[in-house]
Amino acid sequence: MQPMIIILKEGTDSSQGKSQVLSNISACQAVAEAVRTTLGPRGMDKLIVDNRGKATISNDGATILKLLEVVHPAARTLVDIAKSQDAEVGDGTTSVVLLTGEILKNCRQFIDDGMHPTVIIRALRKAAAIANQKVKEIAVSVKTDDAKEQRALLEKCAATTLSSKLIARQKEFFSKMVVDAVLILDDLLPLNMIGIKKVNGGSLEESRLVAGVAFKKTFSYAGFEMQPKQYQKPKIAMLNIELELKAERDNAEIRLDNVEEYQKIVDAEWTILYSKLEKLHLAGVKVVLSKLPIGDVATQYFADRDMFCAGRVQEDDLKRTQKACGGAIITTVENLNESVLGSCQHFEEQQIGGDRYNFFTGCPKAKTATLILRGGAEQFIDEVERSLHDAIMIVRRAVKNDSVVAGGGAIEMALSRTLRDFSRTIAGKEQLIIAAYAKSFEIIPRQLCENAGFDATNILNKLRQKHAENGIWFGVDISREDVTDNFLAAVWEPAVVKINAITAASEAACLILSVDETIKVPKSVAETSNAAKQMGMGG
Amino acid sequence: MITAIIYLVKITITRGRINDFKNQLLEEADYFELLELRKVILRTQQNNQEVPVANLLDSNLKIYIVLKMCFFLLASVSNYLDFRPDQKRRMAMRVPKAPGFASMMKEGAKYMHGLDEAVYRNINACKELCETTSSSFGPNGLNKMVINHIEKLFVTNDAASILREIDVVHPAAKILMLASEMQEKEVGDGTNYVILFASKLLENAEDLLRMGLSQSEIIDGYLLAMSKALEILPKLELDVGIKLTKDNLNEHDALISKILQTAISSKLFGYHEFLGELVTRACLVVSNDGTHSFNVDNVRVCKILGGGLLQSSMVSGMVLKREIDSEVTKVQQAKIAVYSCPIDIQVTETKGTVLLKSADELLSFSKDEETGIESQIKAIHDSGINVIVSGGKIGKLFLYYIYLVLVHFTFSILGEMALHFLNKYQIMAVRLMSKFDLRRVAKTIDAVVLPKLRTPTHEEIGYCDNIYLDEIGDTSIVVFKHQKSTISTIILRGSTEQILDDCERALDDAVNNFKALTKEQALLPGGGAAEIELAQQLTTYAQTCPGIEQYAIKRYAETFDCIPKILAENSGCKSTEILAKLYVGHQDNKNLGFLIGSNQAITKERTTQPIDITCETSDMKLNALYDLYITKKWALLFATKAACTVLSVDEIICAKPAGGPKPKENKGWDNDD
Repeated sequence: MQPMIIILKEGTDSSQGKSQVLSNISACQAVAEAVRTTLGPRGMDKLIVDNRGKATISNDGATILKLLEVVHPAARTLVDIAKSQDAEVGDGTTSVVLLTGEILKNCRQFIDDGMHPTVIIRALRKAAAIANQKVKEIAVSVKTDDAKEQRALLEKCAATTLSSKLIARQKEFFSKMVVDAVLILDDLLPLNMIGIKKVNGGSLEESRLVAGVAFKKTFSYAGFEMQPKQYQKPKIAMLNIELELKAERDNAEIRLDNVEEYQKIVDAEWTILYSKLEKLHLAGVKVVLSKLPIGDVATQYFADRDMFCAGRVQEDDLKRTQKACGGAIITTVENLNESVLGSCQHFEEQQIGGDRYNFFTGCPKAKTATLILRGGAEQFIDEVERSLHDAIMIVRRAVKNDSVVAGGGAIEMALSRTLRDFSRTIAGKEQLIIAAYAKSFEIIPRQLCENAGFDATNILNKLRQKHAENGIWFGVDISREDVTDNFLAAVWEPAVVKINAITAASEAACLILSVDETIKVPKSVAETSNAAKQMGMGG
Repeated sequence: MITAIIYLVKITITRGRINDFKNQLLEEADYFELLELRKVILRTQQNNQEVPVANLLDSNLKIYIVLKMCFFLLASVSNYLDFRPDQKRRMAMRVPKAPGFASMMKEGAKYMHGLDEAVYRNINACKELCETTSSSFGPNGLNKMVINHIEKLFVTNDAASILREIDVVHPAAKILMLASEMQEKEVGDGTNYVILFASKLLENAEDLLRMGLSQSEIIDGYLLAMSKALEILPKLELDVGIKLTKDNLNEHDALISKILQTAISSKLFGYHEFLGELVTRACLVVSNDGTHSFNVDNVRVCKILGGGLLQSSMVSGMVLKREIDSEVTKVQQAKIAVYSCPIDIQVTETKGTVLLKSADELLSFSKDEETGIESQIKAIHDSGINVIVSGGKIGKLFLYYIYLVLVHFTFSILGEMALHFLNKYQIMAVRLMSKFDLRRVAKTIDAVVLPKLRTPTHEEIGYCDNIYLDEIGDTSIVVFKHQKSTISTIILRGSTEQILDDCERALDDAVNNFKALTKEQALLPGGGAAEIELAQQLTTYAQTCPGIEQYAIKRYAETFDCIPKILAENSGCKSTEILAKLYVGHQDNKNLGFLIGSNQAITKERTTQPIDITCETSDMKLNALYDLYITKKWALLFATKAACTVLSVDEIICAKPAGGPKPKENKGWDNDD
């Protein structure tokens, strides 16, 4: 009879209290569990089939999490930090998720024991600050004055990243290639100036770096075969106009009153096209590229005059060509002059695998590079591309920040030790929390060992012993199932990667711990069944 | 059966038609399945016969007799009733409303009335609402995860955002929500304070109601107490040694930073010092523009995912998450023309067709168009402009000409003028997606937005020290850096979207606090110190009141306890102990409050120093924990008014919610943010 008090909308789900914090922690651990085995050189790949049936093979944490479509609100935080790590440094996405999961796992017992989350959060923040400070302190700055030395540094960083990827075997080959590609770029190091082209077939070693631009031959009209496919020092025109017979303007109309005029109009249309072509020819252009189609009339016109043309070139390819060869993307053929035309040392069309590629090499302003990847399966090349992307990002970071730390769990062990020592100097609850935070860092070397099939406890004990003796760069040696000085072994990572990972992991852990209530308002279009609603929360 | 009879009797009384009783009885009898009875009665009436004695044994007839007795009884009563018409109505009131009232309204309508049904329920609803928000009050408050109706995730402890997203439907709870919304609009901070205070007032009112006070007496008492509290409040002003006025805000940035830190620390404790300084700098840049009105909108926040909070920075000028359209990506000492129209060939609004009469016209058609564009760009260039900002599309032809002009220029003078002109005379083109951004950029660089593509006059040209393309994380941004800008931007970094959003809300509160500061500079001690003092003074005042409102005032005073109490509870301290200490301490130090943590927060420089976390009573003046007078004033006002509104309700009538689709809300509209 009496109506109930309804404060919130019907169907609003709300859960709160300690159990809420604990369940959020569990959800995050479940996510961390999913990417756990992909860490390190001996990490395994995951095959994910999305809802459209597209298969992806990857061991990149961010890629996997993105594809998993996590719906649990707390667990989504982890996906976010993986993305943030991806955006900021490009690599280390798996470790950041693992680290967060482990911090939460170690803090769980404190929540269980009834410690107030804010106390934990404050201690975590403090610990994170100390850890970051320590990374900065022990990071080894490599001088960039010497180009050769810098190159060596970059190559080592790239190799470290690549060693945990699918192409670990070819890491020397690819790390060189990646460093070359990045060093070609200008100061801002724009990522989109490195083109990655994938060609099925052939072996990985047939992949190559082009200091310049290369793109796949575009659709061509009759007459294309007659065009020369090779030039030395050609002038290049990059167009944004259609070289075809077409209406000048959509809303233009022609009204005529006699037949002679009609033929003139037809001639005029041809004249317009021919005058465009002629202007290009007169300007001495040898290679004509256009974003828009180049028709068969134009193709044959160019073929007659020893010129090469390619229509419907992808926009980013055209932009990169422009960056490499100079000039501008031309929207009108009026006033053509030297300044808007590009040039390069050598242009050639080459056969790569089953495709034909246009190569522009020896470019005067070469601030762009193209990687042509070869390999078997499509998924395989896709993963290679992702791996190279990570490596490129790492190298870009390393160029900007030249301090490095040793990888392979070495820096984590060093941090763990520093924090543990620090925790013993303070009284109170924080001691426990900082010690737990210190312990969380050990997950990285531990997981490295586990994935490689080593006895993790044994290796960790050795590592702790080495670190206690101030061997700060001792980490896991994957090849010999032992510990080694990873700095000497040239397992290097930019310090900024670690700093970002620590910051992101700590912020995320704090965020998750600071939530004590979840309120879920039903979707505004509440036509979904109740079962579906509950499933949404189940995550 | 007996109930049926009573019901009939009642209906009759209600309708006051005793004379119709008999007929009605006969009609309604059918309804109660007294068919037999009816027959008997009819027979009796028609034949006017005596009922056979044997039938008297029939149970139905027994009832008939009872009814008849009732009839006579009622007939006698009706005489009495006619004498006293007032009394009649009174009696009618006592009858349970449900059937009568409900019959007036559509089925499904809800009707609640009286202390138990309406008032206590309202109070309970507010209490429940308060439970949700109270645990997020203060520096040690915890966050809530709210997933709103479009499945967007919020992680926040900002009461206003929580309430906005959870869709409160209870009418009384909604009043509280509206009060906090008012606070948000008026001051921009202290929204949780309003909810807390109002619901605690209601909670105390419940006790008073149970004691037997009437609602209006409580309301009177509360209002009296409020006016007294507002009288006392200015007297509690904290003397910080510096007299802040509207004009000298710029000179006391350290103090302002401290004030703003209080607002931030309740959201992002630990980062408050760092962010406080950032916001202070940003606000002071904006308030430098010479006018006294401070527009919150002029402090922009640009959120970029990645990195950590401590990597956030402040830029005097605008930062936009855009790419630059033209080749030139860096311009110093820029002269800027701002257009709100697309920089493209002007198209007529009216549908028209270009009519060509001859082949010559066709040939020259596009040529004329191109020369037209070139002359336009050249004219703009000749007026010294090297950056074009547009709110619309920049046509590809125009972009090309923008490029061409600079090349033409450099080539024509390359002979003798130095090569550095190459870089100096270049036009950069930036396209903005939002008309608000366009307006802000125009404000930053002090330019006039031109609605039509034409050469700007000298006054219409904007100036900017430095415009460049940069990359943070993997987001490319366009920075308009201008020393004398009236707009400042805080670039926020954070590892998740939620942290960024929450941080933005905290900054928003701080900026609002600064705005409040430009209106009113009085400071109060924070950490519940002002509240305890108010409580004490009000209690004393209550004792001087002779009327029944004394109780209400006393309760009002007690309500102030809730602020330090919740602060202590959220920090895991024993609240009663803390309260006792505070009350004792206030005998000789009225600035004593509850202090959380120490002021040694994490900053860039001081990262390794251990932070001692204390939760103790302490002097707020020494610890530089200030609240704004204006925030408190409005919070008290809104909370009391809201509580009184809820209290003054004694009936709730809810119409049946209408079916069908909701009225369409134009969410996608570009509203003035």
